[in-house]
Amino acid sequence: MTRMILRAAAATVCGVLWMGSALAQQAGSPVGGAAASAVSGAVETRSVSEWLVRMHEASRRRTYVGTFVVSSGAGGLSSARIWHACDGTQQIERVEALTGAPRSTFRRNDLVVTFLPESKVVHAERRESLGLFPGVLKAPEAFSFEFYAAQRGGSERVAGFDTEIVKLVPQDKLRFGYRLWSEKKSGLMVKLQTIDLDGRVLEQVAFSELQIDVPVKMDKLAQMMANTDGYRVERSEPVKTTAEAEGWLLRVPVAGFKPMGCFKRQTPGGGSGEGTVQWVFSDGLASVSLFVEAYDRQRHLQEGVMAMGATQTLLKRLGGKMGEWWLTAVGEVPAPTLEAFAQGLERRK
Amino acid sequence: MDKFSHPDEWISALADGQLGGEAFAHAVAQACAPGSARAAWHTYHVIGDVLRSGELAGGAPAVDFVGRFQQRLVGEPRLYPEVVATAQAAAMVRPSEPNSPAANASLFRWKLVAGAACVAAAATVVLSVSGVMGVSPARGVLVQAPGAPVVAAKPALNADVAAAQAPVMIRNPRLDELLAAHRQSGGASALQMPAGFLRNATHEAPAR
Repeated sequence: MTRMILRAAAATVCGVLWMGSALAQQAGSPVGGAAASAVSGAVETRSVSEWLVRMHEASRRRTYVGTFVVSSGAGGLSSARIWHACDGTQQIERVEALTGAPRSTFRRNDLVVTFLPESKVVHAERRESLGLFPGVLKAPEAFSFEFYAAQRGGSERVAGFDTEIVKLVPQDKLRFGYRLWSEKKSGLMVKLQTIDLDGRVLEQVAFSELQIDVPVKMDKLAQMMANTDGYRVERSEPVKTTAEAEGWLLRVPVAGFKPMGCFKRQTPGGGSGEGTVQWVFSDGLASVSLFVEAYDRQRHLQEGVMAMGATQTLLKRLGGKMGEWWLTAVGEVPAPTLEAFAQGLERRK
Repeated sequence: MDKFSHPDEWISALADGQLGGEAFAHAVAQACAPGSARAAWHTYHVIGDVLRSGELAGGAPAVDFVGRFQQRLVGEPRLYPEVVATAQAAAMVRPSEPNSPAANASLFRWKLVAGAACVAAAATVVLSVSGVMGVSPARGVLVQAPGAPVVAAKPALNADVAAAQAPVMIRNPRLDELLAAHRQSGGASALQMPAGFLRNATHEAPAR
């Protein structure tokens, strides 16, 4: 009897150990382990959305403090100090800009409050987009990311952490690519590059210094965020509407991009009352805003394209049968994609 | 006291601290006396204060100024495509720029280019003072030079766009507003958190 129990116990222990190692292998490095990490372009078992969910979960579960640097291919450099705290349900962040005019940005979930000490003004706004992901990623009608493929790019040590490099390669010419450095243990994004169609880096955001799992007091950050003494508070809440209601449709959709929402804002100089319509599209990684307003000969003088880092802007006059309109298309996509949106935009009859 | 022909010149020299002794006394007397000299004294000080502190630069809306400036520019004759590109490249702020001697310094054409670049740089200063241009050096302006690539000093700029004969693009506060709106409502991307949001919080110029 005792021998049977002993054998059963041994078998159970072996089973548990075997399962444990299998789980550890799954949860840890991708299939292939250390050997594959040295090989670029090795088969990637995690999909694009799995990498993104991992990145979001890291942000939801870990506190961190660090110095963040934004650099654009054109040579500009900005940096900021960041404190991030979370308690499972809420996330709070404080970002102190170290470059340019002093500025403190606080975020609690989707509420963003920016303090401008020089002008003693506080901007408060709700950013819907911040509440979208990763929920959208897990929903059935989520983005399929079919226009991107995940490829391993090796490993690298960044800001003192071992990271895995993942390349999100666009499958057509309508979008940019990305290179993501994901911290090995937590999946936290340590560095991200936006790559154009020729492989050049348009923009890079990276931690130059980072400490993960340091104690950051949520209530202290919340207190700082709520303290608006001596400041004038300005709220901006764009009015939600629909493209249909505003009379617009995209006759020829641009591959991969889904409409995400439509807002109405004031046009400067008041008067006309029609306002500016903002129609937002996204393919899951890149977003495009189409701003349409009534054409004004005084203000709308030049058509053309501008590039600032990864953000492209297209200015175009839309006319003909549908009346006189002015389009400003803004997005982190190649200029021809903005042109495609401009071509497809039509007025409803 | 025939040093200056116009009384305002006395005031200008006084404001610059160039006078001493009797000339100083004379200028002070002029500034105290009612008339155009005293008004000039006040004006010079207002100018100095505004130049030293951007907050005091209120006045007409910048949108109007930029609109008029753009209209004037549209009317200006274009010399060479390279002139426009160089002028714009010179007007942009870059942290590290190689200082190699110009091989074409002797050609008059390039002296013209340098002159135009100075004018553009002056225009940039004026625009910065009136609070039009953002502080961030990373913001670039794309020039629509037909065919001709943007001057090499700007390596990663996307010059290969629709080669329309559009004139020089100028950043303006309206565009800044729309960019801010794009960041606020248009950031529907899985990369928003934390990359996109942190990028915007680090890089964005404060809205007006």
